[in-house]
Amino acid sequence: MFTELNSILNTTPDSFTQGEFILLSDRQSDASFLIHHFLSLYLRARCKVCFLGLVQSFNHYSAIGQRLGVSLTQAKEKGQLVFLEGLKESLSVLIPQDTETGTRAMDFLRDPAVGLKSLYEFVRSGATSSGVGGREADGGEEWGPPVLLVDDLSVLLSLGVSTGAALDFSHYCRATVCSQLQGNVVMLARSDGRREEEEDGDDEGSERLLRGLTHQCSLTLQVQGLPTGFCRDIHGQVEVCWRRRQGDEQYKQKKLFQYKVHDKGASFFAPGTSSAVL
Amino acid sequence: MLTELLQGSDAGGFIIIRDSASCSGRHLLKSFINAALNREEDVHVLGFEVSEEELKGSPVQRLHFHNAYSDPLGWTDQPTFTVHQFCLEELAHLLKQTSHPKPATLVIDSLSWILRHVSPPAVCATLHQLRKGGAVRAIVALLHGDMHQRGTVGSVCHLASSVITVAPGMKGGDAVAKITKRSKSGKVVQDEDIFTINNDLTVVIQSKHSQVGHKQADPEEQEMDPTAHLTFNLRLSNKEREAKEKLALPFVFSKEKKTALLHSSPGSGRILYEPDANDDYDQEDPDDDLDV
Repeated sequence: MFTELNSILNTTPDSFTQGEFILLSDRQSDASFLIHHFLSLYLRARCKVCFLGLVQSFNHYSAIGQRLGVSLTQAKEKGQLVFLEGLKESLSVLIPQDTETGTRAMDFLRDPAVGLKSLYEFVRSGATSSGVGGREADGGEEWGPPVLLVDDLSVLLSLGVSTGAALDFSHYCRATVCSQLQGNVVMLARSDGRREEEEDGDDEGSERLLRGLTHQCSLTLQVQGLPTGFCRDIHGQVEVCWRRRQGDEQYKQKKLFQYKVHDKGASFFAPGTSSAVL
Repeated sequence: MLTELLQGSDAGGFIIIRDSASCSGRHLLKSFINAALNREEDVHVLGFEVSEEELKGSPVQRLHFHNAYSDPLGWTDQPTFTVHQFCLEELAHLLKQTSHPKPATLVIDSLSWILRHVSPPAVCATLHQLRKGGAVRAIVALLHGDMHQRGTVGSVCHLASSVITVAPGMKGGDAVAKITKRSKSGKVVQDEDIFTINNDLTVVIQSKHSQVGHKQADPEEQEMDPTAHLTFNLRLSNKEREAKEKLALPFVFSKEKKTALLHSSPGSGRILYEPDANDDYDQEDPDDDLDV
């Protein structure tokens, strides 16, 4: 949990806006450090977290979580965290074992044209039920509103899923988790920054996925490298954009920050005020 | 022109609000819904992209929200309205469910969702039939222009009687609306408005041509008169002007000069010429053929 980012977004583990769809995006950069922030924030806020970790192993997130002060293993044992380890599950789909113990969530790998309905079913069961691990009998603890974290959505495009199917999946997640259950959704979508031509015309493309997600979301954090190039003390810039009108805000608010990632966190500051410069 | 469209004076109109990822057109769509409700009309909303609470906070009597947001593809057991129900029969059935005698206004949020799942020709056919059939009085639809191919967007916008393209404005709270309106006679009018939307969903138009007006005034002001602040006088009085025009220029050959040169005045020397025997005296004037 990065304290400076919390103050920028006006969130604390005790009070955060519910029903938000937060989009993390990057263009030729790496925004995955923000996923760790949100994971630790919502675990500390005692929410029921459903995490689709499609690109890294559980140990990776667990190790970084420990540096940020949360224990993923404990959260998983207590039933607070429902974790889909995409890499392991996909192996069981491609190399079927005799004992089928895995979920059907990654079934889209067999036939990508079918869409992401089974993945959505996994999310719905993870977000609604309180005892996915079969421990509902012991009167498990009451968790807060459900939160869905996806890392990341654009890898599905490389696995053969169409942009339309990915957008349908994010729509259903938003309808269920944000609107129906009043929880939050955080999705990471990456792009390689290639500008598609106007007449590209086809369905695919990470840029199109990003645009579609931007239309759906209420808050975006766009991570980019510095326009002037590599810098040792400033790793990049983050543009925070609030899309929904909150209270008396008349317009879409945008703020730009620069950041530096440390061993145990990341610091955010206004452009030009890096500690290396001042 | 945005105010006229909001007042909804023409029946049978099809208005498309075209937005992009950088500027959302949903607030303008809400203003249109509000304006229609204030005119005591029935409004049917096909909500694919937002839930009912987000679109209209508290339920209003004449606003009928058809929930296509929670399950548009039929993934659960009991979908309320799926995207495949977007065809003339189903929509007519849906609209007849209210007992209001006058035809209603149909609001679609958004057309992009439908275009992603139903082929564009089918969507265009349904929209065209809806307009002609008389089941609805007017249609207002939201379209995300950057989510489709240019051809698709062009075809759908061609069906519309007015297209409002929303873009972010210069200042934070403003947005720019470029409006193209096609009237029944075929005349096309284009206009551009800068507007903001208040919290009660009324639209405030800023001064329309403020930006264009500035550009036109500036070149005129810059053309200053160079003879304005001189220390000497460049102007002529009337007498001076007459004297100037009367003046004969030195090397212009006029009639008076010619006669003065050819006919020498009395008192000046005369030339007496006595030809010799050797002289070839030609009586002709060799300068006779000169046209002077």
